[in-house]
Amino acid sequence: MIVVIGCAAAFAIGLYAVLTRRELIAILAGAEVMLGAANVQLVALALARGGDPAVASGFSLLVVVVAAAEAAVGLSIVVTAYRSGARSRLEEFGEVDAE
Amino acid sequence: MSLLLGFAYGLAAVGLIAGGAVIGVWWERKVAGRIQLRLGPQQLGPAGVFQMLADVPKLLFKEDIVPYGADRPTFRYAPMLVFAPIAASVAVVPFWAGWAPLDSVVGVAFFLAVPSVAVLGMLLSAWASHNTLSTIGGMRAAAQMVSYEVPRTLAVLSVVVLAGSLQPTEITGAWRWWWVPLTAVGFLVYLIASVAEMNRGPFDLPEAESELVAGYFADYSGFRWAIFMMAEYGSMIAAALFGTALFLGGPAWFAGVGGLIAYVGVACVIITAIMWAKWTFPRMRQDHLMTFCWTVLTPLALVQLLVAGAVAVWL
Amino acid sequence: MSASDITLAAAVAAMIAGAAGTALTRDVTRLVVSLGAFLLSVAAIFLIVASSLLAIAQVFVYVGGVLVLVLFALMVVHRDTDERVGLDSLHDIGAAAVAVAVFAGLVALLLPLAGTTGSQTRALPNDIGAFLLGDGVVAFEIAGVLLLVALLAVLVVVKGGEDR
Repeated sequence: MIVVIGCAAAFAIGLYAVLTRRELIAILAGAEVMLGAANVQLVALALARGGDPAVASGFSLLVVVVAAAEAAVGLSIVVTAYRSGARSRLEEFGEVDAE
Repeated sequence: MSLLLGFAYGLAAVGLIAGGAVIGVWWERKVAGRIQLRLGPQQLGPAGVFQMLADVPKLLFKEDIVPYGADRPTFRYAPMLVFAPIAASVAVVPFWAGWAPLDSVVGVAFFLAVPSVAVLGMLLSAWASHNTLSTIGGMRAAAQMVSYEVPRTLAVLSVVVLAGSLQPTEITGAWRWWWVPLTAVGFLVYLIASVAEMNRGPFDLPEAESELVAGYFADYSGFRWAIFMMAEYGSMIAAALFGTALFLGGPAWFAGVGGLIAYVGVACVIITAIMWAKWTFPRMRQDHLMTFCWTVLTPLALVQLLVAGAVAVWL
Repeated sequence: MSASDITLAAAVAAMIAGAAGTALTRDVTRLVVSLGAFLLSVAAIFLIVASSLLAIAQVFVYVGGVLVLVLFALMVVHRDTDERVGLDSLHDIGAAAVAVAVFAGLVALLLPLAGTTGSQTRALPNDIGAFLLGDGVVAFEIAGVLLLVALLAVLVVVKGGEDR
């Protein structure tokens, strides 16, 4: 019960970070918060509904793996964007320089 | 009750690592002294033991300097984040046949995962120093430690597959003498990757004193500097103890106190070999270091895992 | 309230505090420390309610991997700036309203589901392994392929940046 409410709160806070942050890496950090909260929610609800703990944990393990892959790709895009013209903020991506 | 036990264990672990680091530093200087003809640690008192008594007060009474422009709170507390995970990882070492301070069903994963938190402390202390050399050292440390975790984990997995368990006490219980020739390559990969993980020579690029002064801890002095040293020696002690237990059987040789003495003795021989390697081999180049990890160690560990898996299925 | 309930409540409180720090701080190191606190408290909740293997995987992958990558990327991006960098955000009432609405919707939707008391047993590593290589083997293999694809994608993205 407390876990379900706490995870919903953490998810909403992560959403707020994604909506208001201007720096790409900070937006990614907010997305990580949302993913983590959703993952805990998944396990907690599965167990509260009387699911098999092994199945719930196994699926969460896969979510952790997929989220890590997502973070690696996201950060590589940020670093590449930065190197190709020192852009790391959201509004700078609207501009297209014709080099 | 378990909280009290945990607290007692924490004190014991910190004492073990602090004491081990002091002895380790002296022993390292003895080994280096033999190799480079240094006199102090050899001749100060009987066999040079008084060098230890000289080293500790020197570190304790040095001034604790926080450089101008540094991020003060992070600079002050990041060294703790380097030391604490390594002290915690000693908890799962099976000192006695069937007994470890923290006998966890995922002990092996604990030992591999928890010290990786120390990388964060190194990066934070490098960043907080606000110094170019520290930042370069910190980034080198992060790249190196994250990479070398891969062959290290794969090498340990070969023993896990043979024993069919992640619990260190169960692995030493299932240990047979023929594991030693079978996993010899894995043990070698584990040792090399562990030395790279603790940023020691010949893999000490993050702290290369001739180019980066001391890398991520260049701005640290006095006791905070000593915490970094204790973390380095602590991870050396932990890696030697854990490797001896898993790959060589460690506490499974003899029962009782004799088993503990033989086990710790072999671990000390491995520690001496690690020091020997530092003072014998020249430092590697950054690109060679990465190529060596990904094209030599990782494939070797994978082949070792395949062989161990085949034997485990065939048995 | 038992001791494990109190530990669970403390872990949930730490999780929310870490999330709030990640969302609101203006300082780079505080962002990393907050995100670390969040990820570690997620691991603590996993340890208490689900399984120790999941908690260890969380520490290994997130704190030892993803968080180090985040800090690494922050250091690369802010390397050249001489003064202490700040992270800014455009606080506005609309975003806050959306977040509060999502929170209310989630609680209203999910809380009734959590009403029943479920199993109190925790999963052993062997059970999780049996599931991943048994019923869940397709998902397990797809996750492996996805990791390989992500690895190749990172290589392509980074190499493309070098050519320019």
